[in-house]
Amino acid sequence: MLWHNFKYSLKVLLKNKILLFWTFAFPIILGIFFHMAFSDIESSEKLDVIKIAIINNEEFDRDMFSKEAFKMLSEEEKIFSITYTDIEEAKELLKEEKITGYLLFEEGVNITVNRSGINETVLRYVVDEISSNKEIMTEFYKEGNSQMNISELKGNIKDISKENLSYTMIEYYTLIAMSALYGGILSMFITNYKLANKNAVGKRTSISPAHKGGLLLGSLLASYLVQVVGLSLLFIFTIFCLHVDYGNNLPFMILLGLIGSLAGLSLGVAVATLIKANENTKTGILIAITMLGCFLSGMMGITMKYQIDKTIPLLNKINPANMITDGFYALYYYEGLNRFLMNIISLLAFSLVMLLLSYRGLRRQKYDSI
Amino acid sequence: MKNIVEVKNVTKEYKELKAVDDLSFVVKEGEILGLLGPNGSGKTTTINCILSLLNINKGTIKIFGKIMKPDAYDIKKDIGVVFQEVAVFEELTVYDNLDYFCGLYIKNKKQRKEYIEEAIALVGLENYKKFYPKQLSGGLLRRLNIACGIAHKPKLIFLDEPTVAVDPQSRNNILEGIKTLRDRGATIIYTTHYMEEVELLCDRIIILDKGKVLAEGSADELKELANMDEKITVEVDHIKETVIEKIKYFKNVHEVSLERNTLIVTYKKGKNNLSELIDLLKENKVTYSKIFSERPTLNDVFLNLTGKELRD
Repeated sequence: MLWHNFKYSLKVLLKNKILLFWTFAFPIILGIFFHMAFSDIESSEKLDVIKIAIINNEEFDRDMFSKEAFKMLSEEEKIFSITYTDIEEAKELLKEEKITGYLLFEEGVNITVNRSGINETVLRYVVDEISSNKEIMTEFYKEGNSQMNISELKGNIKDISKENLSYTMIEYYTLIAMSALYGGILSMFITNYKLANKNAVGKRTSISPAHKGGLLLGSLLASYLVQVVGLSLLFIFTIFCLHVDYGNNLPFMILLGLIGSLAGLSLGVAVATLIKANENTKTGILIAITMLGCFLSGMMGITMKYQIDKTIPLLNKINPANMITDGFYALYYYEGLNRFLMNIISLLAFSLVMLLLSYRGLRRQKYDSI
Repeated sequence: MKNIVEVKNVTKEYKELKAVDDLSFVVKEGEILGLLGPNGSGKTTTINCILSLLNINKGTIKIFGKIMKPDAYDIKKDIGVVFQEVAVFEELTVYDNLDYFCGLYIKNKKQRKEYIEEAIALVGLENYKKFYPKQLSGGLLRRLNIACGIAHKPKLIFLDEPTVAVDPQSRNNILEGIKTLRDRGATIIYTTHYMEEVELLCDRIIILDKGKVLAEGSADELKELANMDEKITVEVDHIKETVIEKIKYFKNVHEVSLERNTLIVTYKKGKNNLSELIDLLKENKVTYSKIFSERPTLNDVFLNLTGKELRD
């Protein structure tokens, strides 16, 4: 029964042109638009050096790690042009827009900028990165590893060098997140066919002697397969046609894609079972949720992701699009896998919650009204 | 003949509306039972309750002598349902739709293929096997809907208004197909608001209104309830009140009514009612363009029982 249902669910999905458009074509079309829109910006922005000021106070003077890091980022990597000055002059420079922002080392690092923009976002991420690396180093020293030398320190900082810091990569990450979540349209569509209170075919299958669990599993496996194929095509297209460099962690990228697709599948099942509306409305709701999630995770500009991280972090913590985007981000920019694994766990938890919420509706065989 | 379906004191309420009200009836093996009633009379709700798709507030339902439940798979394997709404996959061909739905019941591929071919022949879709549903006319689509419901050769078949909005050719095909199913030994529950269809097909008829049984019996038995044996309709050019009074005094006349130029005379029973009426009209020089006699219909029964038409 599982195979019978899998086979026909696959046929149904592959014959539906609208579903195929959203699953296969739309992400690729959007990828082409991103490529056309951002490739020039990327190359021109790479030449810019961000002018900043650092308040040269006692705390900064004591902070050997940060001093070394910023020295390297201004000399070897040419990300920053740094003016070491006092607070008054820094304020003046910022006011005259001669610098993007200034850093004050006072019980940590305080960043002052005038507005939101690409340079400001880059500054913010670099500072965050240095701070987190500094914490690792501090723990290292605490544990008695006093022999940490400067080349190791440089190695850590290099990961955030200008060479890798392509902010348009975020656009492609969100594109993949969107594609994974759009898979929910497939699972939503196929789940509707199994619910007697939503669909005439659902009524027909409900009165058959086939077990509902087997029917659902076969259908969801088919929708997952189509979804993963769609995502694979997007990867292949962006890598080979748009020359997007996702880094070297292919197995982890595949893992993230598979689990991201699972999140999309579970979201689709939840929309199908929990929302009382016709199929078109449900599709609209699912697309809206996905697009909003992608927007908040930086699809239309990385500053949005940063702003949400800063102001409403919980929103991005429960946003599956951000979990996927951030997972790729973590793979690309971070040495360790902690942040990546955290996103994987979050996505699994999200999927589990969605499926648990849908469980009652999926299991139900008798209704108060049809 | 044993009872195939037993519905006992079933009540189904939607908030303040009783869609099915203390309904009880049985369906005997091999018979076609017609559930006749106007839209909203509770026919489809009754079927959904019997199929255990709907929660019921009260009562018991047995099929093949066993209590019907959503997980009564041994009962479900012998049931076929043709819903009022067309329940097929738009993305699958006629043959694939049949293979999918039949495959939910019949695992053996060879046997399934034979059953599907028989179902296709029964509904006359031999030339449309590779067509997609959107390529079919309304009538052909209804035929596919029926084939999907009966391809696995069920012992008990529910047909919920299968001829709604179909062309005469498809309608005849569907009705012939239902007769064939009956001849093969299937027990059928047939809901409709077309009285001609139940008269033509059903061995027994239950007239439903507001979720209650109004009357039950064969078509002839039910017509007894119409309180008349003959109805004569005359399209008159003009008729005087005195002539109408004379008609009323005829033996066996039950009721006389004139609406615009249509005179309707109903008789309790009797012979030669038509010739007697023609003679009277001639004597009184009443000219008419049309005159015809009818036996009472189930609509007349319904009208007599409820004061309203079946298709109101």
